[in-house]
Amino acid sequence: MNLRKYLVLTRAGIVEKLYYKASLYINLLGNVIFLIIAYYLWKAIYLSSGTTVIKGLSFEDTMIYVVLAVAMYNFMEVFLVWEIGRNIQSGKIILDIIKPIKFPLYMFFQTSGEVVSNFVAAFIPTVIIVSVITHGRIEFGLHILFFLISMVLGVLINYNINFFIGTVCLYTESIWGINIMKNVIVSLLSGVTIPLTFFPDSLYKIISLLPFQAICNIPLNILIGETEGIYAILVKIAFQFLWFLITMFFSSWFWNKSIKVITVNGG
Amino acid sequence: MKPIISLNNVNKEFKLVKRHEGLKGSIHDLFTREYNIIQAVNNISIQVMPGEIVGYLGPNGAGKSTTIKMMTGVLEPTSGEVLVDNIIPYKNRTLHAQKIGVVFGQRTQLWWSLPLIESFKILKDIYQISNATYQDMMKFYESIVDIEPLYHKPVRQMSLGQRTLSDILAAFLHNPKVVFLDEPTIGLDVSMKSKIHDLINAVNREKETTVILTTHDISDVDALCKRIVIIDKGKMIYDEGIDSLKKHFGAYRTIKVKFEGDNNLRLELNRQVVKKLQEFISDKVTIEEDWISILTNEKDKSAMDILNYLQTIHSINDMQILDISTESVIKKIYEEDID
Repeated sequence: MNLRKYLVLTRAGIVEKLYYKASLYINLLGNVIFLIIAYYLWKAIYLSSGTTVIKGLSFEDTMIYVVLAVAMYNFMEVFLVWEIGRNIQSGKIILDIIKPIKFPLYMFFQTSGEVVSNFVAAFIPTVIIVSVITHGRIEFGLHILFFLISMVLGVLINYNINFFIGTVCLYTESIWGINIMKNVIVSLLSGVTIPLTFFPDSLYKIISLLPFQAICNIPLNILIGETEGIYAILVKIAFQFLWFLITMFFSSWFWNKSIKVITVNGG
Repeated sequence: MKPIISLNNVNKEFKLVKRHEGLKGSIHDLFTREYNIIQAVNNISIQVMPGEIVGYLGPNGAGKSTTIKMMTGVLEPTSGEVLVDNIIPYKNRTLHAQKIGVVFGQRTQLWWSLPLIESFKILKDIYQISNATYQDMMKFYESIVDIEPLYHKPVRQMSLGQRTLSDILAAFLHNPKVVFLDEPTIGLDVSMKSKIHDLINAVNREKETTVILTTHDISDVDALCKRIVIIDKGKMIYDEGIDSLKKHFGAYRTIKVKFEGDNNLRLELNRQVVKKLQEFISDKVTIEEDWISILTNEKDKSAMDILNYLQTIHSINDMQILDISTESVIKKIYEEDID
């Protein structure tokens, strides 16, 4: 496999992203506003609960989790469903299908540039800021390496789920509703909206078996030291890897099946 | 020599969901699914030799794009065999993609916000074009069209003409064996069209690229194609060289006549003549301002006979005899479905 063939797409994505500077800044601003809202929301929740620790998490723990979860989900989310759906509607998808790279891989590397630039431009600064403000609550040790592995797996699982949903657009020819539904489910069950430990125990058990928490919750817990010990970490990563294989299998199976019934619009 | 593209008895059916009208119909559609089967391509066989430029024509909705999509591997034929350079396109999309180039007018494969040269470099890596081939191709391009000023212009800032030109260059960049051009000159001005004609002809001559071209623009056909294939309602109705197309209809001529006299007299005369002519000439007789235009088949009624007859009615001030244009030939084929 010639890697250059693929990485050139990543590079193009980064350059394209940098081209739209305004959108980069507006994104940052949007995040800040969201975090201010989250801060007061959780403050109110803690004040009204009457205790300083809910389900083993202090206000500070929760804030660290929420801030990082949002930052993480933001750099992973590349609006793939939109991209595929729009290309189906406009018919541009033909041009993507007839590239000498398999379509699922082609789209992955097309969007990877945005993930990389979001990671560098938004996520890393957020981690550093959180670390400084909390006086070293995020330690920089060996687990950072595991975090990176886990994070890549999270990105891949998220991509597979998105790709699967994007393929559904071939049948529905509409995007909006499907995309909203996907966003709600993923952000709720992956731990982006509220820390997963806040769910009732029985529900938590079910959620922790699903692929969604492997997107955000697992890498995040490794990063903030919630998952401790090499063994525990490796189990989590193995769990992610399993879900990566399953989601990849289903998304490429579904795609290969769907492309046979495809009717490309127009012209 | 073996054909590079070979279509044998190809059929393509689409299953379309039947939609009912009105609110009641829409609610009905929520619960039931009925399908209409549409035969987009009906038993088509075409053999194309390497290095040919074939014009693939037909009215809107005739099934041209569907055929192209089967040849590019996007669609799978319902039945029949599609072979492009010994490959079944839809079964080997990735390998096939390496050998073909595609331009769909109005859509671009270029990177929207990047300068053109960046898109070319990306394509160079995706198609794994060697440095030498790439340099060669760029030099070749620069010798045909004035492309250098566009290198550093982002694609989204280009005019439609510049973008189409760039897209065509991009499609030929990896030196593919076959290039499919689907209405490449749609919406372009005359000078850009002729630039694009020169470019396609040059690449075809130099690299022996086979070109399949669909278009509604007869100037494309006249400038590029030596052979045309016409389909209508999914069926092939014509497949021959462009020379025999004209021979086929060469017997048709248009005679234009202007009578002596002032406008009022002419108006009256024209009206009378048209009425009389229509009795014994089945083809079209029309009035175009001062002129009467008569389309006749020389086999039935020679132009001379008609002129002689007209002279007996009134003296003629001016006249023209025109051979039929490619455009009107094709129009005739569309209208009559001649075999």
